[in-house]
Amino acid sequence: MNVIADIWYQVIRHWKTQIRMKVWIFLNLFQPILWLVLFTQIFKSLSNNPELGSTSYLQFFAPGVVVMTVMFGSAWAGMGMLYDIDMGILSKMLATPVSRISIITSRVVASMMLLVLQAIIIFILAIIMGVDIETGVPGVLLALLIVSLLGLGFSAFSNGLALLFKRPEPLMGVINFVSMPMMFMSSTMMPGNLLPGWLDTVRQFNPVDYAVVGVRGLVLEGYIWSDLWQSLVVLTAWAIAGIFFGTMMFRSKAE
Amino acid sequence: MSTIQTDKLTKVFPGGITAVDAIDFEVREGEIFGFLGPNGAGKTTTIKMLNTLIRPTSGTAVVAGFDVVKHPAEVRRSIGYVAQDVGIDEHATGRENLTLYGRFYRLDGKTIKERVDSLFALVDLASFEDKMVSTYSGGMRKRLDIAMGLIHQPKLIFLDEPTVGLDPQTRARMWEYIQSLARTMGITIFLTTHYMDEADKLADRIAIIDRGKIMTIGTPDELKRSIGGDVVTLSPCGTGEPECAAFMERTRSVLSGQQFVKGLQASNGDVAVYVAQGESAAPNIMRLLAGAGVEVQRLSVSRPTLDDVFLKYTGRTIRAQEGTATSYAEMQRKRNRRPS
Repeated sequence: MNVIADIWYQVIRHWKTQIRMKVWIFLNLFQPILWLVLFTQIFKSLSNNPELGSTSYLQFFAPGVVVMTVMFGSAWAGMGMLYDIDMGILSKMLATPVSRISIITSRVVASMMLLVLQAIIIFILAIIMGVDIETGVPGVLLALLIVSLLGLGFSAFSNGLALLFKRPEPLMGVINFVSMPMMFMSSTMMPGNLLPGWLDTVRQFNPVDYAVVGVRGLVLEGYIWSDLWQSLVVLTAWAIAGIFFGTMMFRSKAE
Repeated sequence: MSTIQTDKLTKVFPGGITAVDAIDFEVREGEIFGFLGPNGAGKTTTIKMLNTLIRPTSGTAVVAGFDVVKHPAEVRRSIGYVAQDVGIDEHATGRENLTLYGRFYRLDGKTIKERVDSLFALVDLASFEDKMVSTYSGGMRKRLDIAMGLIHQPKLIFLDEPTVGLDPQTRARMWEYIQSLARTMGITIFLTTHYMDEADKLADRIAIIDRGKIMTIGTPDELKRSIGGDVVTLSPCGTGEPECAAFMERTRSVLSGQQFVKGLQASNGDVAVYVAQGESAAPNIMRLLAGAGVEVQRLSVSRPTLDDVFLKYTGRTIRAQEGTATSYAEMQRKRNRRPS
């Protein structure tokens, strides 16, 4: 029970910090809208591609925007941990009886809450723009679970890397180095069968792709359980790996 | 009864640097124990072993009745820690910072509210409790930091360099707070400092630490008495002159055989001569040196200070040590800190 309480009070702290940054709130809500509008304009001509069939690029890309938003948002989650390390807040906290696991968990939970909110906003906007979600509200809830698992893994890895490096430069470097290729080496922007053969193979090892495939299936086609199970299993493994890494770094580096 | 008891406490960092080298000391209940030494002497490393932030390489420490390695959770519940870096969230109010710490110690909401109010009054921040910490001055932050270390009413509090970077007035105020914590609230205080005057004014007993070792422990008076009387400081030459070393050597050889001279220490171009009676020894010293052809440029007579004690036990002055041994990470943090 203490652990839950510790997580709760720290989540409140992180939320208050976020809400006080008006610009940050505005950008976080505005960015997915920008992506949704901008990318569908850029790739408009793709709608004529026979591979997409009767699907519009907006219809195809909207699930990708949800995944992208969650991925980029959670990949940067470690920056807040750096502030706590840098200001001496973390070491001061560690001298109190606060549960160790709650420190990293509360950060992951706080960033997940924001990302789920962002995902909901994108879904609503997509519906307004004319996207038809095949599986309705239950499907959206399942999609939110899928992106939450993806974000959980990213956020935990990011916090672990912050503890490992303790400085912003290497952390930012790794995030940029990893997140962009992870997005492009997936079917986020292009249908898998339009990708060159090697990329189509590589994406089988990319958790981002499993999230995209899962969410896109729910939006475009309905419950394709063979794909959904795969997505859920792979992303659960990804999330567990992230939490394991984050906890390990916390144990060994949080001195 | 002892609040802290260490036995051959040692920390060797990866890379083989021995930061703390088999130290033994005891802190008694209710006292202000001063840990005095230059930057890099091992003061913060010692505190971090005592408050469970780092594990000792060897040796043991019992804090508030609990072994720091075997029962870290119990130690954490019993102590308050005010770090050298002010570990406060700037993007929250003073009250939010303090309340969160109350939660960490599992106090209930009502108790926290009462204690927050009384602590803000104690550290004179009553009208600032709902202001963002980013608007606080350096001294206000330090006071809030101390309040955060007191929220769970610990019996023992660690203050790591509590007045570094504060202006003289704020420093004097901080000294009053620290004294009142010990005298009126009965809290045992473990205080590290590299300021002689701070240790002299606040500490009931002082341990002098240098290069990871404790050189001596005693009350400020005991330590000063160990010098054996007065200090006559001679400056035979300006610093940096090539023949300076020779002058120092001659001064040494002339004076070291004399009966009235109890000790000699050379540092930074000065020679400190420890004597029973400074006023009567000074003319003697002048006469002897003149006889040997050593010209003295300046001479002063003083009662011993902790600086002389430090010099006697380490062979160096603490001032010569300042500003060295600052890690890169520390410099980085200080540069990032906005001026207060």
